[in-house]
Amino acid sequence: MNPTLKLALVLIIALEISFTQVWTVNVVLLVVCFILMIAYRVKIKRLLWLTLVPLFFATALVWSLSLQGSASAHFLIVIFTRMFVYVYMGGVFTQTTEPLMLTRSLEQNAKLPSKFAYGFLAAFNLMPKIRTEVATIRAAALMRGQVLHVWSPQLYFKVILVAMNWSDQLASAMASHGFVEGAPRTHAVRVPLPTWNWWACAVSLLAVQLGLFLGLP
Amino acid sequence: MATVTIDSLTFTYPKRTHPVLDDLAVTFPAGKFSLLTGVSGGGKSTLLNLIAGLTPLPAPGAIRFDGHPLAEIPATKRANTVAMMFQEPSTQFTMDTVENELRFALENQRVAATDIPAAIDEALNFVGIAQLKHRILMQLSGGEQQKVALAIIVAMNSDVILLDEPFASIDPPTRLTLLQKLMTLCTQQHKTVILADHDLSGYAHWVDHLAVLDAGHLTLLSTEETQERFAAFTPDRLQLTRVTPPQDTETVCLQGTQLGLFSGERELIHPQDLAFFAGQATLITGPNGSGKSTLFRALVRLSHYQGTLTYQGQDIQKISRKSYARQVGLMFQSAMAQFLNVTLDEELTLSQKNGNRAYFTPERVTQLLDQLGLTQHRNQVIYSLSSGQQKKAQLLCMLIMAPQVLLLDEPLKGLDLASIQTTMHILTSVQRDLGLTLILISHQLSGLDGLVTHHLRLMDHRLLYEGVTE
Repeated sequence: MNPTLKLALVLIIALEISFTQVWTVNVVLLVVCFILMIAYRVKIKRLLWLTLVPLFFATALVWSLSLQGSASAHFLIVIFTRMFVYVYMGGVFTQTTEPLMLTRSLEQNAKLPSKFAYGFLAAFNLMPKIRTEVATIRAAALMRGQVLHVWSPQLYFKVILVAMNWSDQLASAMASHGFVEGAPRTHAVRVPLPTWNWWACAVSLLAVQLGLFLGLP
Repeated sequence: MATVTIDSLTFTYPKRTHPVLDDLAVTFPAGKFSLLTGVSGGGKSTLLNLIAGLTPLPAPGAIRFDGHPLAEIPATKRANTVAMMFQEPSTQFTMDTVENELRFALENQRVAATDIPAAIDEALNFVGIAQLKHRILMQLSGGEQQKVALAIIVAMNSDVILLDEPFASIDPPTRLTLLQKLMTLCTQQHKTVILADHDLSGYAHWVDHLAVLDAGHLTLLSTEETQERFAAFTPDRLQLTRVTPPQDTETVCLQGTQLGLFSGERELIHPQDLAFFAGQATLITGPNGSGKSTLFRALVRLSHYQGTLTYQGQDIQKISRKSYARQVGLMFQSAMAQFLNVTLDEELTLSQKNGNRAYFTPERVTQLLDQLGLTQHRNQVIYSLSSGQQKKAQLLCMLIMAPQVLLLDEPLKGLDLASIQTTMHILTSVQRDLGLTLILISHQLSGLDGLVTHHLRLMDHRLLYEGVTE
């Protein structure tokens, strides 16, 4: 499915279930998300992470709410399942979408200025680099006889400095490869937005509305 | 084709009193190869950045392409006019793979989508790297990345090609290939090439007039003077005369047993036994991307390896990180990675606090700073120093720490000849006085002769000492 449309669908559904309290719809969404992730061959390890982390937080939240005593059982179930829906929908989106395709789609389909689209992509590509950089900084500090802990402000000072330097380099790199803010570009890869995508989006939304309407007390 | 004319160009960095470029005037002829050299911090990078339009010009008419002021060339046409290849290979890309980066550049040039695949293949074939098309950029070696950068410039078909010390971390064969490609671009496609380099080897039969940038002024040398400068870099002076094979009597300080290194799926070093000897200066050479830097990162526990590594008989994984880091130090290839503070003075203070205070007395440090030409930069922000100055500051900081084993990854990168000599002199005397074990990676061999005692070659996934047969 087209990445932009997929993102919009996920966001709309997430917004809707935030303001309604129908746990059956949540459960149906969960099952659908789960099936989708299995169908797209998301790794079992990742799936376990996506299940265990929200399980911990949802349980903690429900437990503390039930201790307070004022929340009804229905509300607790809604809260519990809602958290899972957020994580699973996020999971479906991130595990089935390539950042580069999303960037291209945002640029071509959503007409987002290319500056933002590529800014997003650059930030994404930077994540693994930051992790290596932190390890390198700590090692460099040790070699100079200084221990940098996770809470040392100097570590973050250095990381920010490095990131600022990267952003300058990135700007130079983009400019030297001919990128000009706001200038029109061609697209080597077209991101398709076929009609069935719109239908799939509309039908899913309609189904959620119907479920919410029927499920409301 | 485009002639680059520079006329009364004066440039001063903000908050600095001395101009880097002082009333500079020069013409780089169209379709020719111009070689630019000069001391570290002499303003070569500044000049190239100004020509590339990456730094705003102080006066709009100071730089002209075929008579047209740079400022008047619309931003969308600029990449078509002038392109730049940077010193640091890994920092010039936006996308993940080689193909995507080429697509990105061509899209910016508004090449029709249907023409892009052919243009990509043509550029990759020109440089001879068609096999890299689908590789991830960050997993390529520095040399491969520079080849990709050149392919992109070829694809963009820019008239003027600027190169800022593009070979600083590149092995001689790759350097020669790239140079030949650049010459082809000059002679056959009439591109104007301006290249800044410290290492003058290999240019002799291509360059007639060397441009020297010194104290803000640029002088074009005569043919004789140019040849004289090149002669200082001829291969017979690059021999390492003191190299001997390791003897049985030497003490092993670092020992690898069935040591194997990988980069992702790719094998860098096939599992082998490897020893480094105490008190020696060992030079490691090998092609780009063969795994030299990865070996260093493994030795300081920053990257994974197969087999075991021991330091003075103890598994390095079992020594506490803190105490190991004080005994085996690494001077990173990128100087930035070494610094923890803001100014040069703060960096030195940190090293002096934790380092060898008995040897590096304040007087000695002042004296060394003076020799390295860093005295007037003491209170300057370290990141605003030129790359050569940063390299010298970095070396000094690590020397003051005086770890038993010091790994030096391209310590001479970006240094001019005079700085190389000073640096090597300092390194040699400190090693002799403190009995340090030095292990170096360097593509630049000039000046190393007085120091290096063992030579370890990395070839075909194997490390072998010079003079030792399998």
